[in-house]
This record gives sequence, C-alpha cells and structure tokens, in this order.
Amino acid sequence: MSTQTSSSLPHLRQKLLPWSLPVALVVLWQVAAQAGWLSSRVLPAPLDVLKAFWTLAVSGELWRHVLVSAQRALSGFAIGGGLGLLLGLATGSWKRVETLLDTTVQMIRNIPPLALIPLVILWFGIDETAKLFLVSLGVFFPVYINTFHGIRSVDAGLIEMGRSYGLRGWALYRDIILPGALPSILVGVRFSLGFMWVILIVAETISAQEGIGYMTMNAREFLMTDVVLVGILLYALLGKLADLLARTLERVWLQWHPNYQSR
Amino acid sequence: MYFSPEENSEVRAAERVINGAAVKLRGIGKTFGERRVLKGIDLDIRPGEFVAIVGRSGCGKSTLLRLLAGLDAASEGELTIDGSADDVRIMFQDARLLPWKRVIDNVSLGLTPAYRRRAREVLERVGLADRERDWPSQLSGGQRQRIALSRALVHSPRLLLLDEPLGALDALTRIEMQQLIESLWQEQGFTAILVTHDVQEAVALADRVLLIEDGAVALDLDIRLLRPRERASNGFSAYEARILQRVLEAPPIEPSVASHDARTPGIAHISFAI
Repeated sequence: MSTQTSSSLPHLRQKLLPWSLPVALVVLWQVAAQAGWLSSRVLPAPLDVLKAFWTLAVSGELWRHVLVSAQRALSGFAIGGGLGLLLGLATGSWKRVETLLDTTVQMIRNIPPLALIPLVILWFGIDETAKLFLVSLGVFFPVYINTFHGIRSVDAGLIEMGRSYGLRGWALYRDIILPGALPSILVGVRFSLGFMWVILIVAETISAQEGIGYMTMNAREFLMTDVVLVGILLYALLGKLADLLARTLERVWLQWHPNYQSR
Repeated sequence: MYFSPEENSEVRAAERVINGAAVKLRGIGKTFGERRVLKGIDLDIRPGEFVAIVGRSGCGKSTLLRLLAGLDAASEGELTIDGSADDVRIMFQDARLLPWKRVIDNVSLGLTPAYRRRAREVLERVGLADRERDWPSQLSGGQRQRIALSRALVHSPRLLLLDEPLGALDALTRIEMQQLIESLWQEQGFTAILVTHDVQEAVALADRVLLIEDGAVALDLDIRLLRPRERASNGFSAYEARILQRVLEAPPIEPSVASHDARTPGIAHISFAI
C-alpha cells in the first residue's frame, strides 16, 4: 500500500507544482481585499469577480456578449485567413503572381492594422464592417506569410520524386505540396488566432453596442471594476480556447510529424 | 573460354522471363554552364540486363542516370528507351518517402485505389507487410529503402534506375538489400541500371560494369559469374581487383573541374590568411 502512494504522490506533485504560484497569488489577493488593503475600486476581491461572473451568466447577458464577440472574431478570421491562405498559395506556387503581388503585400504588412483605425472609422463608420475589416486585416498577414513560406520550403527532392512517379497538377499539389506546407500554414493559423483577439478587443472598446469589449467599457463608466475583470478573464479564456483549437488541428493533421507523435 | 553476348543472354532468358526495356544512347552529352559533365556517350543496354555504373564522385554517373530517368534533358545526342515514361522508375539515395503518408500510401503513390492490393503484395514481398500502417519516421534507414523499392516495383517498371540507393546503409543491411534487389530483378525481368561507388556491390549484382571517367565510358566489362555470386570466390575477387585498379589508375578529377566539391582551399584564400 505504501509503495503505491509513494509512487503516485511525486507524480501528483509534479502536476500540481505549476499551479501553486497562481493559486497562492489568488489567495493573497483575496486576503488583501478582505483585510481592506486593496480598494474594491482598484481591484475587487476574486470572490466578488466570481459573483459578478455568476450574475452576468445567470441573466444571460454574458452569453449574448460572448456570442457576438466570438461571431466577429470567427467571421473576421474566416475572411482574412481564407484570403491569406488563397493568396499565399498563389504567390507560393506561381512565380508570376509573386512578382506581381508580393512587394505590395510586404509593404502593406508593415503598417500596424491598429494604425488604420481613424481611416477605417472614416470609411465604414463605427458599425460591424469596421470591426470585421480590422480583424480580417490583422489575421491576413500571418496566414499569408506562413503559407507562402511553407509552399516555398517544400522539399524539392520530394516534388521531383512525385513528378517522376507520374504526379501532375492537382495530384502533385494534393499529395506533396499542400501536406509539405501544412506545418508552416498551421504556425500562421495559430499566430493569427492569438492576434485576432488583440485586434477585436481594441475594435470593440472603440465603439460597439454589444460584445465583451462593450461590456467592459460600459462597466468602466459605472465604476464596476468587477465586471471589467470578468471581461478581461473572458478574453484570457477565449484566447486559451483558440490556442487549444490550433493545437488540436496540429495534432490531427500533423500526426505523421515526429514532433507531434505522442509516446 | 569465350561467350558471345548473344549466347550469354540466351542462357539468362532460359532462367527467367524478360520484359525489360532496351536502352540506346548515341552521342549523349550534358553541359551545366561551362562544365561538360558528359560527352559523347554511346551505349546499348539489352532488355533485362543488369548494368552497374561506377566511378569517382563527380565523374558524371549520377547525371547519366538523371538523363535516363527524364529528370534532366540531355544537351546533345539521342536517348531511346523502348517504353513510355511509366515504364521507368527511379530509386534515390535518400528514400524520399512522403513523411505525411503511411507506408501503404507511400507505396501506392500514383496508383488508383483498385491497385492497393498490389501494393500490399509488394510490401509482403519485401518483408514489411506488418509495417503498412506506420509513418516513415518510425522506420530504420534500411526499412525506408525497402519501402522506396516497393514503391518503384508496384508499377511493374521495365527499367529500374537505382541511384546509389544503398550508400547510406550499414554493411549488413546493404548485403541483405543487394540480395533482395537481385532476386526481385530475377523474378520480374526488368532492366536495371545501378549507379554505385562500391565496386564490390557492382560485381555482386551486375551483368556488366561500366566505369565512367571524366564524362566518358572508360571501361565496359561483362561480369561472367554464375548467380548467386560468392563474394569470396577467386573469380569475384579478380573482377573486383581489376575494376578497382582501373579506377585508381586514373588521376583524381582536378579541383577546377570538380569545383562544386571545393575541398582544396584556393590560393587566394591562403594569401588572404597570411
């Protein structure tokens, strides 16, 4: 009996160790808030944040905002990422398209999307189109660049082998070029999923009637610091969720890759 | 004792079915920029023949194989293979398996699903039927080359080109692979052209050994030993010694010619260092 506990106990400790610091910090925070060292306007106690979360969740308000934000993020990602993928595939595959487009894309890439906010407001006003445009633009470049790079770095020996085994056109693309570029494309997807939230937060805090950004900005005006914290935590959770999604894609699509083989 | 080439091929024809392709080269040359890698090569290879091409690195033997495979075009001369591009398959030094396809899918590359059974049969023949669901990264170097060989043979080629396929393998795996290639060649009757830097391998496998030196055929020698060949036999050693001696006789290729090797530091570098 004693051997069993002694073998599983270090294992358990190993798993819990990374969480000890965050837990300790939260406990300290709670104690500090209860003792009155921290003003609830600066930083409300964790339990109060949890309570605010619960109230918002029960009333359904929280889910409405989350749904709207997620919709914006995902449709922006679909548009920007889709265009980035298509254009990256085109410039990576055809030298002529690259000569035509790549210089332009590289030039635009160096403009931070957030620097365009004044212009975007002038163009689209402050409605949905502006937010969609900003998210799409931010997501576009990481996907574009990594797709282009991925196509270019496919092992030339494998392409030569494919040709000598009779693969042409679409078959060559499907069996060799696309799978060879996939690891790099997924790096771009993962990067842009993170960037997607950054852009959306800024876009939503500027102007919105719905969404997590609106919820926090609104709460700030009424000095509801607990709701502001709920919003920040929601972004953290959604960011983690997006990362999890990207990792799952990698595990499914790159299972052939020695780096992703679980042992 | 003297065998005419005709008699020789008749003896083999009695042993096995020959459905290999004949290969004919007339005045073949290849130039890369200023460098003439191959010049004026005339060659006739009979259906079902096993030819080994040996020579020092940079002599042009791999270039010749690439021309035969249609991977590069000759700069001059005429090359005829009595068959279509589908009858020719090449096996590279690095196995060039697709890492994102399982073993069975690598072997059936370019085949319609109906031919998957054939892929399985060939895998069984090379002794790797139990690894068909594995990823290439899970295999050893020798296993990968056996998969690459299956991938070539599943198309029933009439001309199989082998570009130093065993160069990176350990001695024991190498001999096993040589035996496997020989027996498959005897069963299927294709024409085989093997580029190798290993003279013993050439004598063990080939009906005929060609030595390429400085872009031209310097020696064309029929190996008249019965199969399976005994490496320890006197006849074997005699052939091996003769070819090796001929290879060593020739001066090494000058650094200026084999400039892509660039192992000898140039004079400019030395003076710079002082």
